[in-house]
Amino acid sequence: MNDFKNSRFRSYIGTPGELEDIPLGDFKRAKLLDGEILIAETENIILYTSLSEPRTYRKGVLTVTNFKLSFIPNDEDEEYLGIQQHYMLKPYEVCLSSVDAVYHISEKTRKKLNLGQSISHKVKELQIVCKNMRILHFSFYRANKDKVKTIINAILHHAAPKRLSLLFAYDYKERLNSPNQYLKDVQWFEKANDWLKELDRTKTNKLKWRVCKVNEYFQVSVNLPQVFIVPASVEDHILCKAAEHFQSHCSPVWVWGTPHNTALIRMADLDPNIQDRTQENIMLEHIRRSHDSLHGPHILDLAKDFPTAKELQTSFIKLRELCNPSSGRLFKQQDNKFYSLLESTRWLHFTRCLQNAVNGARQLTWDNCTVVLQEGSGRDMNCVISSLIQLILDPHWRTIRGFQSLIQKEWVVLGHQFTKRSALLDNDSNEPAPYFLLFLDCTWQLLQQYPTAFQFSETYLTTLWDTIHITIFDTFLFNSEHERKKAKRETKSASFLSAWDYSRQFPESDIHLFCNPLYDDSFSERLYPKHTVPFLEVWRQCYLRWLSGVEIVSGGQPQIDLSCRVLALEINALRQMLLVNGVDTRPKYNQAKEDILHLMQKVNSFFPFSRNDGQGQGFLPGNDLLSLDAQDSQSLLNLTNE
Amino acid sequence: MEQYDGFMQNSKSSSLTSKLDTGSWGKTSPSKSYCSSSSTSTENVVSTLERRKNTKSNNETGFSLRPDEIPLLPGEKICEHARDVTYLCPYNGPARGVLTITNYKLYFRSADKDGNKVIDVPLGVVSRIEKVGGASSKGENAYGIEIFCKDMRNLRFAHKQENHSRRDVFEKLHQHAFPLSNKLKLFAFDYTETFPENGWAVYEPIAELKRMGINNDMWKITKINENYDICDSYPAVWAVPQHVTDDEIKSVANFRSRGRIPVLSWIHSESQATITRCSQPLVGVGGKKCREDEKYISLIMDANAQSDKMFLMDARPTANAVANKAKGGGYESEDSYKNAELVFLDIHNIHVMRESLRKLKELCFPNIEEMKWLSGLESTYWLKHIKCILAGAVRIVDKVENHKTSVLVHCSDGWDRTAQLTALAMLMLDPYYRTIKGFEVLIEKEWLSFGHKFQQRVGHGDDHHSDADRSPVFLQFIDCVWQITQQFPNAFEFNEYLLITILDHLYSCRFGTFLFNTERERVQERVKELTVSLWSYTNSQIDLYRNPLHWANTNQQQVIIPIASLRHIKLWKTYYCRWNPSMRIQDPVYQRIRELLRLKEQLVKQIEECRKEQQSRFSKANALPIWTDQEIGFVRWVLEI
Repeated sequence: MNDFKNSRFRSYIGTPGELEDIPLGDFKRAKLLDGEILIAETENIILYTSLSEPRTYRKGVLTVTNFKLSFIPNDEDEEYLGIQQHYMLKPYEVCLSSVDAVYHISEKTRKKLNLGQSISHKVKELQIVCKNMRILHFSFYRANKDKVKTIINAILHHAAPKRLSLLFAYDYKERLNSPNQYLKDVQWFEKANDWLKELDRTKTNKLKWRVCKVNEYFQVSVNLPQVFIVPASVEDHILCKAAEHFQSHCSPVWVWGTPHNTALIRMADLDPNIQDRTQENIMLEHIRRSHDSLHGPHILDLAKDFPTAKELQTSFIKLRELCNPSSGRLFKQQDNKFYSLLESTRWLHFTRCLQNAVNGARQLTWDNCTVVLQEGSGRDMNCVISSLIQLILDPHWRTIRGFQSLIQKEWVVLGHQFTKRSALLDNDSNEPAPYFLLFLDCTWQLLQQYPTAFQFSETYLTTLWDTIHITIFDTFLFNSEHERKKAKRETKSASFLSAWDYSRQFPESDIHLFCNPLYDDSFSERLYPKHTVPFLEVWRQCYLRWLSGVEIVSGGQPQIDLSCRVLALEINALRQMLLVNGVDTRPKYNQAKEDILHLMQKVNSFFPFSRNDGQGQGFLPGNDLLSLDAQDSQSLLNLTNE
Repeated sequence: MEQYDGFMQNSKSSSLTSKLDTGSWGKTSPSKSYCSSSSTSTENVVSTLERRKNTKSNNETGFSLRPDEIPLLPGEKICEHARDVTYLCPYNGPARGVLTITNYKLYFRSADKDGNKVIDVPLGVVSRIEKVGGASSKGENAYGIEIFCKDMRNLRFAHKQENHSRRDVFEKLHQHAFPLSNKLKLFAFDYTETFPENGWAVYEPIAELKRMGINNDMWKITKINENYDICDSYPAVWAVPQHVTDDEIKSVANFRSRGRIPVLSWIHSESQATITRCSQPLVGVGGKKCREDEKYISLIMDANAQSDKMFLMDARPTANAVANKAKGGGYESEDSYKNAELVFLDIHNIHVMRESLRKLKELCFPNIEEMKWLSGLESTYWLKHIKCILAGAVRIVDKVENHKTSVLVHCSDGWDRTAQLTALAMLMLDPYYRTIKGFEVLIEKEWLSFGHKFQQRVGHGDDHHSDADRSPVFLQFIDCVWQITQQFPNAFEFNEYLLITILDHLYSCRFGTFLFNTERERVQERVKELTVSLWSYTNSQIDLYRNPLHWANTNQQQVIIPIASLRHIKLWKTYYCRWNPSMRIQDPVYQRIRELLRLKEQLVKQIEECRKEQQSRFSKANALPIWTDQEIGFVRWVLEI
């Protein structure tokens, strides 16, 4: 542990020697939710600051429950100004389901420990890599060895259970159950009503398209919702017969339309064992007949140009390793090669799927042609492309409520396999792939290019990605609507909350940050995004936020965001003065304005995901990390002399 | 503006830019709830403002352009008209029209049906002119002229093969693009436009030193170099340690390359930690020493009571600094300079940088290979060099601000990398340099007065395009500034358009600002009397260059420290890729903020009108107005931000 002695330490952090002076029992413990059970707890644990060089760290207590992995620093009382306040998870707590991999770190090696297994050897340091790219690096060298073993085995054992019913959502008992304002206008698309409203809203002719309830008890397909929309000419028995020929029985479903009855349709491929395409053709013919001009639909084969689950996951893992390297040495090696390494992850090439969404949007509008999205079992890229096409064409989905409804429709009820794609369980059906993240990333690219077209902010999108790994909410827990309904029916004691109820997770002040202050609600045009790599960017807030060393102190996007909030406040204040002739609104607005201006001085570029813990002005971030070392400059010399 | 858009239609019809962008961006009108403020245009605000200004000034003089006329600057003369010339646009295909050469620019206007396309390029940006094809070349458009520019583009024109039709054009182009090679004056000496603002008055060396509190106990102003005798590439006025004698200065000058001794660039108003700059010591292979130099540096260290240490930042890679010993130069040995720590900042020389930019131009112009874009970008090393320079400046700032320690910066001669580092460090440390006028002062001081060799590095009016002295050192500095503005969007009073305008006129030779190598030469050539300053032009239309977010910075920190990591450093596409219409990017964020600011102003006006109306009504009725002083105060409060 020589590096400890040679390092400089920040004043708020103790030196290792001090650890011995702390009497046992004098520490803060994790708070538990209703239904949460403590599994293991160890004190005298050290959590390193990510990539800090020289190493900085915190001392505290590590706890594993049936819900979370919790680290509570001994100096917990400090104010976390830059971090979103979360009711269920404190700054150093993560949901167990968001743990992706656990590594045993020794002097020279970094060895992966498999989830579900047990260890019997001594572990000095442990790295926990999370699904949202976060890395927690613990050192146990002052802790009780047996307790350490227990807690590591608890992590390995509980991070990915064998059965859904072992996830915390089944145990969580929320006492308050008041309906909430945030759920008021969400369209759930569970019942016929929401689908009918959608037909009306898009001015689709109900003589051409109808609500179909043949799957009310999931007798046609367990992967389709109970209610969906089909061409009016398709009778139920025809549909039932046709559905059998499609993979997962996912027959064509209407998801969006225009007043010309041009429609956006999603369907699966034919079952690979079936050669005869008659049933597919019958359905396509019905779709053609529902088009005003009887145009045949255009089929976008999404299996062809798009990443398989495995390719997408590989790309994501590479991106994660690039954005959140496991050591400072790696960071330095990467930094000068960042762009070519980024290219080799292929992540930006996959976000080029925006191009297919742009093409689809063009066919629907300029060519007035019905578009059918077709893909394997119809629940991965179909969700991505279908959602993107609708975001491009329809301003309704660009509001916060609209965006939630879009996800509810395209991802939740139409059965994106969240359990499988987020690898929530430890079993054979696991096939992790971040399709949902791909969608969020593409949406973020649209937001970059059209910063006034969306009601929500990038903070909202980042938060949404974090939320899908928190297994309290039923929204992103299941593989299908069928599973969701079954779980709710069978587990009466559990609360099963919707992720759209933000008030369960965040205070008002954080929910405000989900709104985009640049939003222009009169912006109703379709979008023409640029989709080639030179126009695509790395989503810095989301992917780099765990590296405090690359956070811009008092700079970055939050400065624009907060200034616009000040402007909006002033405009509202002036409006109110004009409306209620002469009421003095000053004190109220003055205070709010001062609050924001004060915040602007304090916050850094990853706000509200800042890991700099209120390190304010004058602190030089990552100086040591970013300085060139001799090896770097030598390689540059060699290269330029070639 | 002509240079900024390069390819625009004549000023009366809407520009090509806006035409393209209507297709790709759609209408961006302000929201209903945010009322109906004026602009529904899709152009960027700057170009709109600029066009309005042009139209207005044209109307004022009762002058509007006929299709066959070309806009001329005062002092500009037409030298050559060539009809039946085809401009070979790499993006939109060939266009036939008339090419005009003046003593300032080349001006092409197409006669095609689809509107008047215009190419308007100051000849100062031309680095090389080549004839393409011969009289016997076959194929359409095979015979003509290719023009290679300093601003990341090439232009190709095709001529008819009969009668050597390109000969006159080629000659005139050569004459006016390279006036110095043809024994002619640079255009700046013919240009006679007058502006309400006088840019030559922006920088007063003594006033700037006084702003920093000099003279004081430890530093004094000296005019020892008034006649440029001690150092011909330094300014006339220096700030040096209070207790140094003139003789000592002379001894130090003998020990420093080209007499460029350590003088003050900046002093911290509280800690008195300083940034000083110089050239390399003439150590040589023998390891020569100079007691006066050692003493001088210890005086600089002692001038800062807060620290008993000092940093000597050598901008070069270690290997280059060592290699310089063979040529009589080198670096300070830590043994001779007590309490001084030597740091190499690893920034490469002008030749490496020139090569890097050449590769970058290959990557960006004319077309972009999308699938290899990122690795292609990396292989130019451009961003890595930018990172290196920024990282060096950040280290200086860290020492001065966080450790209250003085820093002496040098490279070999102290006019390239040294200027980059001191100017960037000062920009990070002192908010004054982040205002429009302060930024102009910074350029005047650290670049122009301390003898960055603009003439040599840019090659104004000179046809030696492969001259090894040319290098994009100043461009790199401006790029670094842009990177910082990206990381601190409200810390600067100016916007990106000011930076682009500065770069355009770095090459244009329309203004005297960037002509010649040293202050001495500029005095000799009477630049201030005979030419116009670029700052006269910019300061007379200063609103064009304002950052609409700067108001939100009033309570902000003094020091800004950018992150020198490629995770943040980006290619400045709006500069390097601006000629490619598909790469043109709008800035809807700033546009939106401008709309909101305009709306705010309107509301304030409305409220004031209401108040006046009520006042007059109530005064008639002999009653008190409803609007109280408090509310008026509120309106003022809003106006103030």
